[in-house]
Amino acid sequence: MIPTLGHVAVLVGLGLSLYAAVAYLLAGRRADARLAESGRQAVIGSFLAAFAGCVAMVISLLSHDFSVLYVAENNATTTPPFISAISLWAALEGSILFWTLLATGWATLVLYRHRDRHRALMPWVGATLASINVFFFAVMTWPGNPFTRTSPVAGEGLGPNALLQNNPFMALHPPLLYLGYTGLAVPFAFGIAALVTRRLDVEWLRIVRRWTIVPWIFLTLGIVAGAWWSYEVLGWGGYWAWDPVENAALLPWLTATAFVHSAMVAERRGGLRIWTSALVIATFVLTLVGTFLTRSGIVASVHSFTQSAIGPWFLAAILIALGGALTLLVWRLPDLVGGGRPAALLSRESAFLFNNVLFLVLTFAILFGTLLPLLVQTTSGGTISVGAPWFNAVNAPIFLALLFLMGIGPALPWGAASWSTLRDRFSMPVLIAAVVAAAVLALGIRDAASVATLALATMVAAVMADEFVRGTRARSRGRSEAPPQAAWRLASRNRRRYGGYTVHLGVLVMAVAIGISSGLSSDVTVTVAPGETARIGPYELRHERLVVEPLRDDPRVIETRAELTVSGPQSGPLTTALRDYPNSAAAIATPSVRTSLGEDLYVTLLASDATTGAVTLHLFVNPLVAWIWIGGAIVGLGAAFAIWPERRAVAVDAVEPSRRAVEPTVVAPSAERA
Amino acid sequence: MSRVTLRRIRWLLVPLLVVPLGWLLFTGFGRDPREVSSPLIGAPAPEWTLPTLDGGTLSSADLAGRPYIVNFWASWCIPACVDEHPVLASVHERQGEELQLVGVLYQDSAADAEAFLARYGDAGYPHVIDDAGRLAIDFGVTGPPETFFVDAGGIVRDKQFGPLTDALMADRLGAILAAAGP
Repeated sequence: MIPTLGHVAVLVGLGLSLYAAVAYLLAGRRADARLAESGRQAVIGSFLAAFAGCVAMVISLLSHDFSVLYVAENNATTTPPFISAISLWAALEGSILFWTLLATGWATLVLYRHRDRHRALMPWVGATLASINVFFFAVMTWPGNPFTRTSPVAGEGLGPNALLQNNPFMALHPPLLYLGYTGLAVPFAFGIAALVTRRLDVEWLRIVRRWTIVPWIFLTLGIVAGAWWSYEVLGWGGYWAWDPVENAALLPWLTATAFVHSAMVAERRGGLRIWTSALVIATFVLTLVGTFLTRSGIVASVHSFTQSAIGPWFLAAILIALGGALTLLVWRLPDLVGGGRPAALLSRESAFLFNNVLFLVLTFAILFGTLLPLLVQTTSGGTISVGAPWFNAVNAPIFLALLFLMGIGPALPWGAASWSTLRDRFSMPVLIAAVVAAAVLALGIRDAASVATLALATMVAAVMADEFVRGTRARSRGRSEAPPQAAWRLASRNRRRYGGYTVHLGVLVMAVAIGISSGLSSDVTVTVAPGETARIGPYELRHERLVVEPLRDDPRVIETRAELTVSGPQSGPLTTALRDYPNSAAAIATPSVRTSLGEDLYVTLLASDATTGAVTLHLFVNPLVAWIWIGGAIVGLGAAFAIWPERRAVAVDAVEPSRRAVEPTVVAPSAERA
Repeated sequence: MSRVTLRRIRWLLVPLLVVPLGWLLFTGFGRDPREVSSPLIGAPAPEWTLPTLDGGTLSSADLAGRPYIVNFWASWCIPACVDEHPVLASVHERQGEELQLVGVLYQDSAADAEAFLARYGDAGYPHVIDDAGRLAIDFGVTGPPETFFVDAGGIVRDKQFGPLTDALMADRLGAILAAAGP
């Protein structure tokens, strides 16, 4: 009964999305407000249908209804309710259902929010978003039906993927990522609407700023949460392996980041408009490519979804989206050419242009590395794999160059920078960076990437701190405010600028943490009998005993556990285990991570001998890893700060003379107060 | 180049981007990306001498002059190695002396392998213990089960990545049995 209702909900969603797409299309052509209104109702209806579908699936999972194939393959009678519920997104069909919920949710939110404004643009936004929803509902109607039934009904299901039931992070990482992916359809839809209607001025850019940054925050947090999950669960001591599924998330993130920057130039100076339109298209297409790569089974990935019939559907969608949007872009090229105010080589525009070029180079390099195995297989029939060393070697210099630009870009004025400005803003930071580089070298760190990262990060931080201090001082003097108050007001009334700086600060923290943790981590593999002690760095781990027993909350899972006592920093008992799940051929590592701000002690169990009780352990000391997660949080907070609605007082502030010295671009009161 | 040609040429941008991407992604369908092609095919099989599970020694030289199959397997490789086990056993029974089968233990202990054979049936062909993993490296094995088909002249003719089925076995055998003719 419930699964049938779920299936009906999908069909209703498909019908409503189709209607909405057609209604909006006609509304756009005829400028018919009533048709647009009915299109919006249909989009809201499709969201409710997707919601009903998800509820039906969650109920089926919670009640272990094995007549549904998806439930039989991803659930068992012993699965705890929490894991059952989040299994909604644990495998292919369910994840598409969940995806559709989010996609229709974003569409509803956007169309509702701007229901009375931007009458020329909105029908085309609605038509684009509704068409995307049609695709996802169609996938669920034909090749990827989540409510496919089985007969005869099995008495017991296979249970959820062992990796997914082993850690609660699974509840967090996919929703964040999907919120990012699906949300990036919104700026794409506005880009298409602007191209169709030829309203290629700043209107759409002002609207999409928030609609880009919010999904961007989710995508960022989703990627960081994924890295964290990989670190805490997979047991190999690292957090990023350039796996296709990781690259799939990173690619749209890179182009979205580039878009956020180029849109600023397009909005403020009228330049980079072709770039900006191309980037918003690329971002959306890459979210589809990423989904396709990981769900079609055409590239090998650690956690690719099972091979399925949805591959050709996704490929068709990619080609239609890319071909259609590109055709539109090429058609409108004459409208997009020119219009920018001239800028010198040393100006903020140029810095942003270089930033865009670097982001694109990164995107192509990563896309190339991800697709190269496929290309080689297709052209020569040979098999290659592109591993982390290649990605690191190719991407590290580009990341460092981006870091450098991050420091100078925001500190350069629009238009042209004079030599005295350069000297004034950069001589101290460069000097400080040189001192740091010398100090690091003197400490005996010779890893070139680590030294460069530290020096550049210092320079960028110094540039930002210098500007913030100058601004605070000017404000404090001009308005006789106490410095902390002046600092807060300066930041909260220039949210865009200082939110952006905070994001940059978070990136700096992550860059340093990644540079140091990858350059200076150490590891050792040891075999110890009970009573013996393993050592790494300042840590001593005494092997107390080996325990093999069923897990208390799920007796089908056998846990092989080494109980250890740590002495040294963070002393105390520690256990690390391997778990045998009935539906997994390989044992699942359950590493133990002792996190501190300075370094992590990371212990995995590799093997054990039940007769002697001896265990083989892989021990890692990973410095500064905690700062990667902290940096990720700072990035998210900074971006949220940047888009927080500004107070109306800004309008008064804008004419305040003391700000001119520090802030060359006066933030105009936004026309759009969403 | 005049502006007019430029205006026309810009339309080429669309097919230039869409067609190659579509073609590349399309060719990926229906392939297992984990399958690794072997440079060994058409080349002489690696030579080896290894201890057998029943305590003797077997060498590649002992097999010369007859086609043979080298099957890398492990007791922990479940269900793939269990699935293909009867396929190998039936070929051994059918072909008898005409074709030699050799099992190679891939990262497995002799005791576990014996337990596996006791449970799923021992067809009687020899299994060698590749403790150092040397032979697996020589053959370029990615993971069990993986099976190599060597003809009477000692040349590797084909390989199977993943479990064998009767149909796959018949197909692969053709390559070495045909070549075995006078």
